[in-house]
This record gives sequence, structure tokens and C-alpha cells, in this order.
Amino acid sequence: MFTTLISAIAFGVVLASVIAIASMGFTIQFGLTNMLNLSYGGVMTASAFVAYLLVSHGVSAWYGLIVGGLAGSLMTLVLGRFVLRPYARRGAKLFEMMMVTLGLALVLDYGLQALSHDNIYQFTVLQSSPIHLGPIVITPTQVILAGLGLVVFVGLELLLRLTRIGKALRATAAEPTLARSCGIRTGRVVIVTWLLSGFLCGLAGVVYIINSQSVGYSTGELFLPLVIAAALLGGAGSPKGAVVSALLMGIVTQVVAAFGQPAYSTVAGFAVLVIVLLARPGVVAGSQGAEAQVTL
Amino acid sequence: MGAWEFYITTLVVYFAIDVLSAFSLNLQFGFGGIINLSFIVFQAIGAYVAAAVTLGPDTGQNAFQTYIWGASLPFPLPLVLATVAGAALSLVVGLFGLRRMRKDYQAAVLLIVSLIAWEVAKSDVHLFNGSNGVTGIGRPLGTTLPLSSLGYQWVYVVWTLAICIAVYALVRWLSSSPWGRALRAMRDQEDATISLGINVTALRLQVFVIGGAIAGLSGGLLVEYIGAWSPGAWGYAETFVVFTAMFVGGIRNYKGVILGTLLVPIIFLELPRFLPPIGYPGLIDSVEWIVIGLMWMGSLYWRPQGLLPEKRNMVFPGEFGSVTGGGSKAGFSLASLLRKGQG
Amino acid sequence: MVAELIESEDLKNIVTSPETNPAASKIMLTARDVVVSYGGVAAVDGVSFEVRAGEALGLIGPNGAGKSSMLAALGGQAKVGKGSIVLDGHEISHLAAYKRARLGLVRTFQTTSEFSDMTTFENLVTAGNGYLGARLSSVVFHHRLNSKADKQIAVRAWEMLERFDMTEKANTYGRELSGGQRRLVEIMRCLMASPKVLLLDEPMVGVAPHLVEKLVGDLKSIRDEGIAIVIVEHALEVVRALSDKVVVMSFGKKIADATYDEIVHDQAVQDAYLG
Ligand SMILES: Nc1ncnc2c1ncn2[C@@H]1O[C@H](COP(=O)(O)OP(=O)(O)OP(=O)(O)O)[C@@H](O)[C@H]1O
Ligand SMILES: [Mg+2]
Repeated sequence: MFTTLISAIAFGVVLASVIAIASMGFTIQFGLTNMLNLSYGGVMTASAFVAYLLVSHGVSAWYGLIVGGLAGSLMTLVLGRFVLRPYARRGAKLFEMMMVTLGLALVLDYGLQALSHDNIYQFTVLQSSPIHLGPIVITPTQVILAGLGLVVFVGLELLLRLTRIGKALRATAAEPTLARSCGIRTGRVVIVTWLLSGFLCGLAGVVYIINSQSVGYSTGELFLPLVIAAALLGGAGSPKGAVVSALLMGIVTQVVAAFGQPAYSTVAGFAVLVIVLLARPGVVAGSQGAEAQVTL
Repeated sequence: MGAWEFYITTLVVYFAIDVLSAFSLNLQFGFGGIINLSFIVFQAIGAYVAAAVTLGPDTGQNAFQTYIWGASLPFPLPLVLATVAGAALSLVVGLFGLRRMRKDYQAAVLLIVSLIAWEVAKSDVHLFNGSNGVTGIGRPLGTTLPLSSLGYQWVYVVWTLAICIAVYALVRWLSSSPWGRALRAMRDQEDATISLGINVTALRLQVFVIGGAIAGLSGGLLVEYIGAWSPGAWGYAETFVVFTAMFVGGIRNYKGVILGTLLVPIIFLELPRFLPPIGYPGLIDSVEWIVIGLMWMGSLYWRPQGLLPEKRNMVFPGEFGSVTGGGSKAGFSLASLLRKGQG
Repeated sequence: MVAELIESEDLKNIVTSPETNPAASKIMLTARDVVVSYGGVAAVDGVSFEVRAGEALGLIGPNGAGKSSMLAALGGQAKVGKGSIVLDGHEISHLAAYKRARLGLVRTFQTTSEFSDMTTFENLVTAGNGYLGARLSSVVFHHRLNSKADKQIAVRAWEMLERFDMTEKANTYGRELSGGQRRLVEIMRCLMASPKVLLLDEPMVGVAPHLVEKLVGDLKSIRDEGIAIVIVEHALEVVRALSDKVVVMSFGKKIADATYDEIVHDQAVQDAYLG
């Protein structure tokens, strides 16, 4: 009983690292655009497949991580520039943008389904013999993945706080119009945001499949609610918030999985998102400025 | 010939059921502005309930499936219960999911409701037999009617079309009533609608429940026809098909909605069955979904009025008969009124 | 049959306006020490005033003074932190917005809020139906009554269009109207709802100059019909022409409450405006 709990928490921390990387990416994007980008999961899966292909051709999984991240950057930038921005230019409201990203998610997912022949592929790289830490049985890879989450978090915080572009990014997320009138070139900030957020998205995709040891077309989509929940719970644009709530989400879902049916861990994750969405007042529909248009 | 007749009648039944779905969503989204991304759940609950109250008690003889309830109710009752179940579930979902909030958050909540319901139904075998679903549901009056299977097909065609027409009359009447106008007002400008004294929370819940009832009914009709129901039939993406049909045909125009249903779920999704198999077995399916996604995005981009745009409710000086949009020409003019007043 | 019904009492009541109210009429709306805060910052900080039936109150102040927030407190769009609001004898500060509207408090918004996918005529008819007509139960159970009422409302809506010279735009969707026309639609819609108190947030923004004059005249006649008006407006000539008294806000506080002529000479007010 107690051991189950302890090891569930340990697995939760590993999962939390994956969620955290993904939701840090999501939150900087969401902080800037205020838009629920539901195609994020599709990009995650696509990047994971890129890494899978590389690794299955003999490339080291470590390069896979980097290339997966770059693939995520590229896809996010292209989709943001050439798919999402035209809608924003047409004055799409926030909810319309969400619907667009939903359609995009459908296209990405089923595109991947077609390309992957609807199969689930084993991805057993970086697996090594487990180590025993008291009641916890954990692999060195999992420890490394948990550490990676921490590294990404620290790196992102430093980037946002110390570099010019990071400061511009934070300013734009907080007050887009004000930032523009202060001479920040928001266009460039948007591009950097897409790249950065896409990198984290792709990276998270690869980390996710290293941890779960398999990849299929719906990998990212099932994981996305957890990511969004962590991002919203932590507050838009706050990596620290995303990490803390990712820890919460990771542990909750793993504990539910350990004590209930495994399927209910997914449900628990979904339920947390529903609660977060309902509890966050956000901007109320219909009131002034609520149907605000997106800055892209 | 017989095979063709069978196929065509089957398509007509599907068409009628899809039109019901589109009516439901058109009322909720087209008029009420609710982005109901969990639509398919309400169809599914209708189907499951109709199945469970038709199948009879779970005796264990059908050892391969387990389900709750298990009654064998006579003909119209399963459908009635399916409708009630659709309404009841929408009431529950609506009570927590339709509170005033950002529209995109609301849509996301409903989408996740769809995912949760699906996961639960799939993994809990005690509800409706988990991912294998329920099968062997008898057709209504299937044994009492002295009919060949083709004859029965035609009876079912008439039956579903009759229901479809009745629901059409209902939704059309509702949407052209002052209540329907209040719905449109709420969709356009919620704050202004509230400041007319209209309780939008109640209004939204009402249209959600009515739509849910129609969805439940459509599910019941579907399961009584195909005789089986499982999570494979109601993935969250099925909701997009109905939305896309509405967008393509013309939202808020009933003829458009019907046309869109004919084009998207029937012609576009059924025709590929005649294509020779291409690639791996599931390829056509995947491509269909990709195209649905593209159509969905395209219609959001070009914001088309659809093939048949919504009709403007015109009024002319001295003629107010068509205010309600019902198209009734029983107008009268202010001028004639005043003349009478003088005389 | 229908025509006979319409021709009877109801129509006559609509056509002839009610007798104008005397100046010293009853108090319709009282705000006392109203506080509205957003996340700890008070946008409205203890503002009080009262408006009588047949009286117009101008609410002015520099940008960000809290005027719209004050209207939101009155209308129920913003939570009233402290203080009380009494509408025609009812304490309403904790009532939901739609319930306040049912008591006769109708408003426009700073951003135009016409029903964009409905025609002008439908905009008006929706307001005329109000909440009673829009009830599902009345649609279902009193269908015939309802359709009769609908026709009466249609007649009123047409009269409203004639009054504001908008008959040509009867079949135009809200989204197709110009900014000024949208404001007009909003005001007509408010009038269709037969208000006791009318709250207007910058109703003249975007309205063509020649229409402003006409609109002021119309608002005056509405006021003289016994409706209490609270108007937030940056165009001071409108405030002067219309308002019986003026409340000035600055940084959430009321800094003056007097007639227009007294206000313009008030030192505190000039300071507030000049910053
Ligand atoms: N929903 C809100 N959340 C947070 N702050 C708000 C909100 N609405 C208004 N404020 C703030 O409250 C203060 C008062 O705003 P309000 O809109 O009431 O001013 P106003 O007098 O109507 O200004 P204007 O003349 O520009 O319309 C402003 O500082 C504004 O930034
Ligand atoms: Mg204002």
C-alpha cells in the first residue's frame, strides 16, 4: 500500500517532468496569444515520429531529442505563420481560433494516422536495468528525464529573465498593445515565441515516448489535456506555475493509475482540466473585450 | 436489385438520423451559439439506453457482454427512454459546463466531456460492455411485423423519415418563435440580451437540453436499426462531421442543413466504400478525416454562408406578418388597420 | 379577427404617449457609497447619487475615471463591493443583471452591442418581446396569445423605426450598419423594452453630427415621458443639453454633483480634467 503510493509518486515525478516541459512550451505560447492551441498535441506527436524515424535509422536518441525539438520549432512556426496568422488577420475571435486549431489537430492526427498506418511502434531506446531505491524501482533513464525537466525549467527562466528577447517576450505577453507602443517589435517576439514553444513541444514529444516506450498517432492528443491543465493552472505565461502544477498533475494521475483502473488515470487528468477551466474565471463571454481578437 | 435497394434504404435511414443530429446541433450552435463539441455523447447515451432496455436482462447466457439495467421494453419505449436519457445527460453536463465563461474554454470543457465519457464507456465493462460494446439488439417490432427483411427496410425508412419530419416541424417552430429570437440574441450579444431581462443561463440550458433530447432520440433510432453500439462508433471526432455538414450546407437554414447532411456524412463519407482499396486498410478512413478537418478549417476561414445561406427575415412597410421568420404570409398592414380604426 | 384585436385599446395606448411627469417626481434610482473593485483596485470608490423619474443625470469624468464601472455596478455587470443601489424601492445591489432589467433598468454599452446577425427590425422585436415573450413555457403553452402579442410588438417596432428615421434599415443586419446606426438601434431597443431607468454609456460616439442633435431631442422627449436617464458622455454639449444635473468622477471618486453650469466653473473639476 505504502510502497505502491511511494512508487506511484516517483513515477508521477517522472511524468510531471514530461508534462512540465510540454506545458512550459504551451504556457509561453498561451501567455502571448491567449489562445487555446489544440494542435499542440499533434505537433508533439509529429516531432516524436521524427525522432522515432531517426533513432530507428541508427541515430542516437540524444540527437533524437534535439532534432525532435527542432522539428517542433519548425512545424509550430510554419503552422503559426501560414495557418493561424491568416485567421487572426481576418479578425477571428478567440473561440474561432480555438476551433481552427481543433481542425488543425484533426488534420495532423489523421495525417499521422495515415502515415503511420495506424500502428503503434515500440520505442525502447535508452532503456537500462532498473535501480532500486528503497521501495522505488526506477530506471536511470527516468531519473535523467526527471532531471531534464529541471534543466529546461532553469534554462527557460534564465532566458526569460536575463536576455533582451526574453524580457520583450514577457512584456508582450503581459500587455501586447503597451509593448508595441514601447517600441518592442511584437512581430519578432511572436516568431521567437513560436520557435521556443515549438522546441519545448517537440522535446516533450520525444521525452514522452522515451518514457512510455511507444509512439502512435494519438500519443500527443491524449496527453494534451494534462498539458493544458498544467499551463492554465499555473497561470498563463508562467513557467514556474507550469512546473508546479505539472508536478501536481503527474502525481495525481499516477496515483489514480496505481490504485484505480489505469484508464482512469487519463480520466483523472481530463477531469482536472475541466475543473481548472470551470474554476478559472478568465474573461467572461460577451462582456467588454472578452471576444478580443488575437495578436499574432 | 435487392442488394441495391437494401443499400439505398440503409442510406436513407442513415440520412434521416444524421439530419436529426444536424437539427440538434443547428439549434444549439446555429441559434444558441453553444459550441457543443460533446454532441456525440448525447447520441451515444441515447443509443446505449435504447440498447440496454431492449436487450433484456443480462442473464449471463450472452456471456460475452455485460450491461446495466437490462429490460425488454416494448416498441416505442426504448426510443422514449433514449430521448429522456439524452435530455437528462445534457441537463447534467449543462448544469456545470454551461456557466458563463470564455467561449473557447466552454468549448474545451465540452470537448473534454466527450473524451471523458468515451474513456469511461470504453474501460468500464460493467456499464455497456466496455470497448466491445453491446450487440444483438433486436429491431423494433422486428418479430411481430409479417415482413421480409427488405419490406422491413422500407418500414424503417418511413418511420425514421416520419420522425425526422416531426422533429423538423418542432425545431423550426421553436427557432422561429420569440424564444428562438432570444437564442439568437444571446448568441450575438450576451450582455445586451441579459439587459433585456432574459435569463441567459436558463435559456442556454433549455436549448442544450432540447438539443440533447433530439440527439438521444437519434441515437436510439440508430441503434435499433444497426443492432449494435460500441465506443468505436462515437469518437469525439464524429461531432466534427455534424458541424462540417452544417457549415457546408448553410447554418441556420434548414434546407441548407439538410443539404449539408446529404453531402458530407452521406455522399462524402459513404461513397468511398465503392472505391477499390488503396494503401493499407485504414487509409481511406484517415484521408476522410483529414478532409473533414480541412473542410472545417476552410469554412472557418472563408466564413461561408454555406451553399444555402440563412434567409433574412424581411419586413416591408405596412406588412408585419413575417416577423417571426416562419415565412407565413398572413401579414396585415398598418394602413388597413388604421382605416378600420377610423371606420 | 387579429386586426380587431390590435385596433383595440393596446394600440391606442402605444400611439398616445403617457402624460408627462411633474418635475418633483419620485426617486427612481439611488446609488449610495457604491464601491467596485477589480482585483483589489477600486475603480469606483464610494460614489452616491440619485435620479428622479423624468430626470437625466450626466456622469462625466476623464478617461478611466470609473464611469463605465459605475454603470456596470448599476446594471449588474460588475459586482458591487460595498454600498447599496435602490431601484424604484427595491434594493438591487445583489440582484442578477437580468432581474434588474426585469425591474425596468435597461442599458447600452460602451462598445456597441447590437445583435449583429439579426436585422434591425428583429433587434427591436426581440427587445419588445422581452423576457416574458422569450419564455419557453409561453411559447409552448400560450402560442396563440404570443403570436398576437408579436404582431402588436411588430407595430410598435415599426413606429420606433419611423420615429428614428430608420425604416430603410429595417431589414439590415446589425453587422451591416454604421457605428452611429448601431447606437441608434441600441437606443431604440432600450425603448422597446419600456424602461423605467435608462443607462447610456457614450451613446453619441460615432453618431453623425446632425443625428446627435436629433438624438438629444429624442432623449429629451424620452426623459419627459417620465424615464430616468443616466448618461455617460464625453461630448459635453450633449450633457449640457440633456442633463438636469451632472456628477463628475475622477479616479473612482465623485468630485462634484451639481448642475452643468455650476460644474463648468468648479475648480476641482477643471483640475481633474486638466490632470
Ligand atoms: N474588467 C476590468 N478588470 C480590471 N480593471 C478594469 C476592468 N474594467 C475597468 N477596469 C479599470 O477600472 C478603471 C475604470 O475604468 P472604466 O472603464 O470604468 O472608466 P471610464 O470612466 O468608463 O473610462 P472611459 O472614459 O475611457 O470609458 C480603469 O483604470 C480600468 O483600467
Ligand atoms: Mg467607459
